[in-house]
Amino acid sequence: MKNEYKSMNFVPSTRREFLRTAGVAAGLAMSPSAFAKSLTPTPGASGKGTLVCIYLRGGADFLNMIVPYRDDDYHQARPTLSLHKEDGLVELDSKFGLHPGLSAFAPLWKAKKIAAIVATGSPHPTRSHFDAQDFMEFAAPGNRTVRNGWLNRYLAATQKKGASEFRAMAIQELLPRSLRGNYPVLAVPSSMEKRKGEKTLSRFEEFYGAGTKGAEKMKGEMMERPDEKIVESGRITIKTLRRYRELLAKGKSTVRYGNDRIGKRLQSIAKVLKAGAGLEIAGVDVGGWDDHANQGSVEGNHHTRLANLSGGIASFCEDLGEQLDKTTIVIMTEFGRTVRENGNNGTDHGHGGGMFVIGGGVRGGRIFGDWKGLGPGSLYNDRDLPVTTDFRDVMAEILHGTFGFKAPRGFFPDYKPGRINLF
Amino acid sequence: MAREALSRKERGIHLLSRFAYGARPGDLDMLLEQGESGWLEEQLTPGAVEPNRALTAQLKELETLSMTAKECREFTSTELPDGASQEERRKARELRNIPKQQLMTALIRRPVERERQLEEVMSDFWRNHFNVSFTKGGQADLLISDYDRTVIRENALGSFPTMLMSSAKHPAMLHYLDNHLSRKPPTKQELANVERRVRRRTGSRERGEEAAAIASQRGLNENYARELMELHTLGVDNYYKQKDVIVLAETLTGWTFDGGRAGSQAFVFREDMHVEGDKRLLGKIIKEKDDPLQQGEAVVKMLAEHKGTAEFIAMKLVRFFVSDVPPKALVKAVAKTYRKTKGSILDLLRTIIKSDEFWARENYRTKFKTPYEFLMSALRATQADIQNDSALHRALREMGQPIYHCDDPTGYYDTAEAWLDPGVMALRWEFAIGLAANKVRGVEIAPDYYDSLPQAVPRLWQHYLTERLLPAGAGKRTRNALSTVTNEYLTKTRVADARELGPHLVGLLIGSPEFQQQ
Repeated sequence: MKNEYKSMNFVPSTRREFLRTAGVAAGLAMSPSAFAKSLTPTPGASGKGTLVCIYLRGGADFLNMIVPYRDDDYHQARPTLSLHKEDGLVELDSKFGLHPGLSAFAPLWKAKKIAAIVATGSPHPTRSHFDAQDFMEFAAPGNRTVRNGWLNRYLAATQKKGASEFRAMAIQELLPRSLRGNYPVLAVPSSMEKRKGEKTLSRFEEFYGAGTKGAEKMKGEMMERPDEKIVESGRITIKTLRRYRELLAKGKSTVRYGNDRIGKRLQSIAKVLKAGAGLEIAGVDVGGWDDHANQGSVEGNHHTRLANLSGGIASFCEDLGEQLDKTTIVIMTEFGRTVRENGNNGTDHGHGGGMFVIGGGVRGGRIFGDWKGLGPGSLYNDRDLPVTTDFRDVMAEILHGTFGFKAPRGFFPDYKPGRINLF
Repeated sequence: MAREALSRKERGIHLLSRFAYGARPGDLDMLLEQGESGWLEEQLTPGAVEPNRALTAQLKELETLSMTAKECREFTSTELPDGASQEERRKARELRNIPKQQLMTALIRRPVERERQLEEVMSDFWRNHFNVSFTKGGQADLLISDYDRTVIRENALGSFPTMLMSSAKHPAMLHYLDNHLSRKPPTKQELANVERRVRRRTGSRERGEEAAAIASQRGLNENYARELMELHTLGVDNYYKQKDVIVLAETLTGWTFDGGRAGSQAFVFREDMHVEGDKRLLGKIIKEKDDPLQQGEAVVKMLAEHKGTAEFIAMKLVRFFVSDVPPKALVKAVAKTYRKTKGSILDLLRTIIKSDEFWARENYRTKFKTPYEFLMSALRATQADIQNDSALHRALREMGQPIYHCDDPTGYYDTAEAWLDPGVMALRWEFAIGLAANKVRGVEIAPDYYDSLPQAVPRLWQHYLTERLLPAGAGKRTRNALSTVTNEYLTKTRVADARELGPHLVGLLIGSPEFQQQ
């Protein structure tokens, strides 16, 4: 079994296999049933939890989010960016405070629902956004052959017959890479929510075989043809978009959300979740974190993004009520930024970053990760935070803590498990 | 297993799919009549006069398209008095927006209506390769029109090294990737000057010291140097290391532009910002001699001539024109041409056209159209008249590909993997139906589009329209679905009207699986 798992994962052995995994249809290359046969479902997966995975694209400056504000080295390295207690920092412990833009997290911190992880990230040294995001979302640092996202691999490994078509989704034009792969996942552009649109869907039903289930019968061989991938994508679009609109109509929000993009998307996710549609994973991308210039400190660009982020999540948690107990929210980014500011009131691409993990089951109200300070000799390449916690340690514990899913060997290729006991 | 070679018609379709934004009605016949090589030679002549003179004349009315960045700035600048009314402010904003709007119009009308299609296809390719974005804010709205004309279009079929150098010196790129801010750390003397100036102005010693502390942090910004190697030339982590990024950033310090109110809005080299001295980059020593600007130019030239650049550009072109999984042998051949011709783009394209891989059946109809390609080809196939393009840009934004609005320096991806998520198809369907029903505001398909259908035989209309919109043919499922629609219509209607059923069929054809491929 172990070997079998490894061979299908992800290291292609033939050109055709390569086409299948690296190739076109983002997860439609191999039919779900063919995929399922190569795996046995993992016992213990409860299927009852939900994970919201929020990705801050561009390399968010976690050093100004989980702030070592009592550290002189920090202030010296960042004369215009650094934050002080009197700036309205939310004190977390004797070392760290939250950026004032994250003050909406304060009640969650007090209620021990939010954990902060410092100096976490990838063992791979790349400072390229695109490689770092790929490596992280495919959970395979340095490995360019893995083309299934870590969350997609979880979905595939635990799929059952008759499962909800809404196990996973993203409310944006395109899926985050973490959800791409063989298991079909729906991306709903937010503009599709409002419109009636059913007429359009039914018109194309026959073109895309939605009524006939024809596509599901197709063999893996057929699915390699690009036109069949398009048909499959269209078929899934029709089926799930219909269901999604039903769910949205059913769901009610109990709190007000901000009017920004992230608030709105979290509100829709909460509706689907509360409608009991079997949603296990929602992916949310938030762009614009590449603060090379005019980052700002107490106020400014970085602050605005943080305020929208934390405000949206706080509303979401309140909206979920008791359901938050079974829900995990993780906030991650591809890398941290340089410890020293660059002189354009900004920071450049760095190495170690940070994460937040929020939810009922999380051992919140504490800081995880090994912090080595910012003094001479403790920085990576003399410029960045080192990585003391491999992001895969966090991912593995999130899958286990949220779904009871224990990642089998090979799930994370070339990985030696470590523990931080988040849950 | 050898597969059957493409027929003459299929070869024509293939050319119009990959070297043009699809066929307008009649295009395929004309190409076949003219012959493949005649058509290609015409497309492969850079700078030739555009035969569509009506379009040329109409685009001339968009006066900012030919303006330099400085002229754009002058054209849009208004002196707002202190107590300016809301109306005055609104007008000033509208004026400021004109260069961007006129460019956006051209970005749709040229690929839809020009005969010189390959220039447009290549321009799109280079726009994504050398991405800049209006979303950067600041002065981007005044710089990008000039960038599109002088960097992208001017060189789209020219020499890669020339285009690279011209992008490296263009204010739009320097601004987008922050190189205009990158400089050597200030000297003690300069810091003392700052301190003194602020102290005098504010009368506060503390403020003076603070200002000096801030100024002392000014320095290198790696953003452009990294992307210059990662995205524009060598490819990610190919042949270079972090230390090369830093040295390259140092070499290019001082490459900025005169962006002040009365400035030239053009490239300038500022020696006072430049990190002096010889540089060691990619294992080579680059002497400064007495000319620090020339040192940077030598480095950009060295990158353009690097074998890593040849490989990377070859891979991207083959992926774009041939297959999402670029055949290795062809990539190698194109890279070889690159080195032999010093990056002549025309020669790279010729190598692709002459290859077996390009014409192989396994690469025929296998590229999934990007949203931009989908839109352009739909507008061409329907010969839609575009009076106003704002609804088209909105559609592109919803589909995730607003042109010149890509935040990421990667530009938009050209592989299906990036675009074929379940969900996005619904947006294409909505657009298809809307376009065919003339419900996309400002865009109209003329009623006589349907007049050439055999009015007496409604059952044939779907075949005629399929031939026009999908010359490569429709699959069984699509044919059946079109028949269903035809039958439903005919049972409901006493006198069949091509102007009524026609738009239904066209909408469905544009939304069909086959139309998404090229």
